[in-house]
Amino acid sequence: MAVESSGSRGKRVSLLGVLEPVLFARPYLKKSGLSFSIVIAAGIISNFTLLLVPVFIGDAVSAVEYGIYSSIPRIALLIVLAYSISAAATFSLNYGGQYISQTYAYNLRKDFVSHLVRKRFLFFETQTSGDLLSRGSMDIEATRNFNLNMFTSLFPTVFLIIEAFILLFIISPFFSLLLALAVPVLIFLGIVSSRRQRPIWRKIRDTYGKLGETLQENIVGQRVVRGLASEEKEVDKYAAMTKQYYDENYEVVKVRVTFNNLMPLTVAAVTSAIIGIGGYLDLISKASVGGLVAAVTIFAMLTNPVSFLGRMIVFSENSRAAIGRIQEITASGGEEDVEPSDQSLQPGPLVFDHVKFSRGENVILRDVTFRAHPGEFIGITGKTGAGKSSLVNLITRYYDADTGTISLGQKNTKDIPLSILRSRISIVPQEITLLSGTIRENILFGMDVSDERIKEAARIASISDFIDSLPQKYETMIGERGITLSGGQRQRIAIARAVLRNPLILILDDATSSVDPDTEINIFNNLKEYMKNTIIIMISLRASALSFADKVLLLEEGELREDLPGEEGGNVNRI
Amino acid sequence: MSTGYDAIEDQFLKPEKGRRTILRMVKDILYWRRDSAVFTTSVVITAIAGVLYPLALGLAVNSILSRNVGSLTIYSVLFFLIYFVQFFSNRTMSLSSTKVAQGVIKRMRDRAFYNLQKVPLEFFSKVKAGYLISRIENDSESISDFLTYQLPQVISGVTTIIIAAGIMFYLDTTLALYSLLVMPILGLFTLVIQTKVRANYLRTRRAIAAITGNLAETIAAIRTVKAFNAESQIEDRFKLLNSENFDANMKATRLSSSYSSAIRVIEAVGIVLVIYEGSIALLNGQISLGILVSFIAYVQQFFNPIVQLSQLYNTYQNSMVGASRIYSIIDSSPEKDSGNVDIQKFTTSIVGRGMRVTYDGSVALDRVTVEIDKGECVAIVGRTGAGKTTLTNVILKFKYPDEGDIAIDLKALNTIDTKAYRKLIVPVLQEPFLFNGSIFDNIEYSKKGITKDEVQSFINNYGMSEIFRTLPNGLDSPVGEMGRNLSEGQRQAVSILRAFVRNPDIIIMDEATAQIDSKSEKNIITAMRNYAKNGTLILISHRFSLITLSDRIIVLEKGNIVQEGKLEVLANREGVFKDLYKRSVSAYVHVTGGS
Ligand SMILES: Nc1ncnc2c1ncn2[C@@H]1O[C@H](COP(=O)(O)OP(=O)(O)OP(=O)(O)O)[C@@H](O)[C@H]1O
Ligand SMILES: Nc1ncnc2c1ncn2[C@@H]1O[C@H](COP(=O)(O)OP(=O)(O)OP(=O)(O)O)[C@@H](O)[C@H]1O
Ligand SMILES: [Mg+2]
Ligand SMILES: [Mg+2]
Repeated sequence: MAVESSGSRGKRVSLLGVLEPVLFARPYLKKSGLSFSIVIAAGIISNFTLLLVPVFIGDAVSAVEYGIYSSIPRIALLIVLAYSISAAATFSLNYGGQYISQTYAYNLRKDFVSHLVRKRFLFFETQTSGDLLSRGSMDIEATRNFNLNMFTSLFPTVFLIIEAFILLFIISPFFSLLLALAVPVLIFLGIVSSRRQRPIWRKIRDTYGKLGETLQENIVGQRVVRGLASEEKEVDKYAAMTKQYYDENYEVVKVRVTFNNLMPLTVAAVTSAIIGIGGYLDLISKASVGGLVAAVTIFAMLTNPVSFLGRMIVFSENSRAAIGRIQEITASGGEEDVEPSDQSLQPGPLVFDHVKFSRGENVILRDVTFRAHPGEFIGITGKTGAGKSSLVNLITRYYDADTGTISLGQKNTKDIPLSILRSRISIVPQEITLLSGTIRENILFGMDVSDERIKEAARIASISDFIDSLPQKYETMIGERGITLSGGQRQRIAIARAVLRNPLILILDDATSSVDPDTEINIFNNLKEYMKNTIIIMISLRASALSFADKVLLLEEGELREDLPGEEGGNVNRI
Repeated sequence: MSTGYDAIEDQFLKPEKGRRTILRMVKDILYWRRDSAVFTTSVVITAIAGVLYPLALGLAVNSILSRNVGSLTIYSVLFFLIYFVQFFSNRTMSLSSTKVAQGVIKRMRDRAFYNLQKVPLEFFSKVKAGYLISRIENDSESISDFLTYQLPQVISGVTTIIIAAGIMFYLDTTLALYSLLVMPILGLFTLVIQTKVRANYLRTRRAIAAITGNLAETIAAIRTVKAFNAESQIEDRFKLLNSENFDANMKATRLSSSYSSAIRVIEAVGIVLVIYEGSIALLNGQISLGILVSFIAYVQQFFNPIVQLSQLYNTYQNSMVGASRIYSIIDSSPEKDSGNVDIQKFTTSIVGRGMRVTYDGSVALDRVTVEIDKGECVAIVGRTGAGKTTLTNVILKFKYPDEGDIAIDLKALNTIDTKAYRKLIVPVLQEPFLFNGSIFDNIEYSKKGITKDEVQSFINNYGMSEIFRTLPNGLDSPVGEMGRNLSEGQRQAVSILRAFVRNPDIIIMDEATAQIDSKSEKNIITAMRNYAKNGTLILISHRFSLITLSDRIIVLEKGNIVQEGKLEVLANREGVFKDLYKRSVSAYVHVTGGS
């Protein structure tokens, strides 16, 4: 599964790691300063007003105790007022907190996608879509959840503790001292708990990614699964993954229960001390019990938020594990510069000059040299796995050559901005991918041209008759991955898409393998007729197709050999 | 765009009524009988302990007032003990709630996955992969969140409310009635906004599914996106869904936050009513100060869970919407007509009569009648889109004809046990999909227990060693996701091998050698010739060289069989076949001299 993980994750072990989700979130919350302040203010107000309630109740009790009933209506009014203010503040807190967290998620997702689509080809060879998908959905969601809770719960809880401290100090400095003693214990427990949880959460997030991977693979490969009658095997495979997920979640809860529940217990110990010691002092000094009741009520109000701190640790560790996974996309570099630029590209010959290309140890192209001029129709053939696709993938710079140069119109392709290069080269790959959407959208694929041109492209690709035979013609919806079309129909739509761009170079990588010979002849005739200034590079294994080429090159042992132009018995027959 | 898709999705994944979802959810929770019993018990203990503190506090206050040091000590220790009990009950509660929550979603996911293996294949051409993944993966997380963190609060909340109310009534009935006065308002309020809350959450779940779906498609098409330099268009499309998601969430929050705030105000009214009535009662000497203090504490104890529950109400609705979306996958109707007649061997023939196959009303096969005999090698040819793959889909039991029937050895296909049938017949599909893993893993996937040596001898026998020659790690080479790290021809070769190692009675090859070079293809063909002596072969190909291998050719055109016969016959007859293979036919006729 996902590679390159340990490197970027290993670094973050410092104590300040707790702040990591906050630091990570900062760039995505640049313009949220105002909502930030509102939410924090709302958090303080909401708690403060709520904390006042016990004070008021204490007042009421004292008033009743001493028989001063006249102050009761005033206190009642104050209580209602405090609750109303608290309600308004809570609204701002919840809404504002959600606003911030959603803004954060929005920006993060945007950033995620923009990095993702710019990653180099090699990156996608090492990743699986299901895992990438989990990163883009639930990993981001996990960090958002932490952010939300940070605003709506963590900050308020911290304020609550501070405010409680102040109030207690006013009621009795002694009580506040007891609280001050509890705080370091709480922090210690928190740190230990999060340390222990961290590695498990990483496993959980990775397993979650694997779940997505297994599911996605199963859905996409459903026909193979059924064809090989391996449904049961698949069900078992998935069940093993969900079992692992179950186990890891149970593992983390075992750590969390002990530490997290010790936190409220600490608060309870302090509260009991207050009742005991404070009560004793009241008892001998014959002081009013109002203060004691208020202090204990304040503490009782603290236990819930403090146990929530424990849950925050869960969210935080989950979020940190997720951040690691997200950063493998957003901060790992290796993006292509595909931004549009105003440079233009002059037509000219395509020249491969002693190009070498290897994948790791495996040398795919040893030494390739050839030249193609505008208007030329070049055929490339060679055995399965000889490196034909690799060769053409170098032209659009999906991969870079190890040594040697590839130039187009006298310019080294390395010096041409990718957006320019790729917009002037069209490729019909061996494996066609169509998106769900209409046929028109798929032919256009981001272009904006007249209907006439779309139809012309479809005619060249010999697919216009078929499209016209459909009730909704160009507006016909096709399923995901073009699932509702036949193999040959998909290939021809891809050809139309490539032709529409009127490219300097048109690359057909076995683009007619599912097309019948008769239709194939039509397509090649059309290409020859309409694409007179284009360099056409066709990879094919079929003699019938290669016979259209002006020149057929044979790729063998990593080298291109030229032979007699398109002649029977030439390169074609050698393979 | 997304709304149109939602309608299609609703046809296949029927949304369920809210009430039924709850009942099923309860059933799913109770499935984990032991865990949910432990869970409920520990929650109730926690809650009971929780309602006891005010009592201990009130008693402590009374002992201060009565200047009794002994009882003060007892009650403050009691106070701590209550928390101590809670420590253990909370621990057990978290453990068991996690077990229940994870158990419930594990079962949900497993069942949804299981059912995906049973739905008609058509389902996958309509419902998008990313949307399904979002339901099974993401939506179930919302359920686990609810069950792990919120359900304990709900149960303890309800318990607390009941106990607190009981104690309140015990302490003073009139006061208790006063504090309950606001309850009907609250209930009514909740009821009124319920439908809206649900609709809001449905929207948010759909929005995140749309994001996942879009992401899934983008990743699947990433190579094409790059080829056509469409990165920024993709981003724009994503931005739209991203903001829809933002809006949906903010809308849901607006309502749910207002709701929680309104409840606070209602709570304040409740407390004030008690203080008012309480002080009057105290004045009249009906209650003691200690009772009033604990009573006020109970009122707060009573309202706290109500406020909490009101906040949980939103998460609850969210997870119920999530649950209903998974249930709809579990419920989506499995393939019909999967019979249970066993079949061990292919003995005579496959016969299809008057088969008509349509996709969404458009005809792909129009009353086709075919017969394929045991031991035969039949080639199916025709223009692209003629219906060749569709015909094999029918034979493979991937799709059922709307009209007509198809039978193997006189047993109707729809009465035959699919699993047994698929042991007889193995397809090599037009799209060579491989699983992530090594080449060997993929072959072993098809035939359990096969050894590397056996695979290697298959490769040698079928003359495929040339194809894998360029792979430094041979059979152990990783193929990458969907086999993308192999060359296309290598992928096809693996998928052919995967079928051959099963040694099935019937093999269907749908353009399975289209990307394999002619020399290797010839090797494979020759080996297959030997194989075809006792096996049955159905070949779809555009390559003449492959067609020459066949005993009989079936020519399809626009969903009809227009020609049928031996190569010698068709090559010399005017018609679709001759049109398709002009050059090759003339070369062939030239060599064989016609007949
Ligand atoms: N993404 C990849 N990762 C690792 N190896 C690869 C990858 N893509 C191709 N290869 C290997 O590089 C070699 C050349 O592959 P390439 O796809 O260029 O062959 P090809 O000539 O196009 O073959 P085919 O006719 O089957 O399409 C093969 O051995 C292949 O396994
Ligand atoms: N899942 C589907 N939903 C809707 N229409 C479909 C579906 N599958 C195929 N079709 C349509 O049915 C017709 C026959 O398709 P089929 O795949 O059988 O053709 P084919 O003969 O195999 O063509 P090719 O040689 O191009 O693979 C085509 O017009 C195709 O668009
Ligand atoms: Mg290739
Ligand atoms: Mg087909």
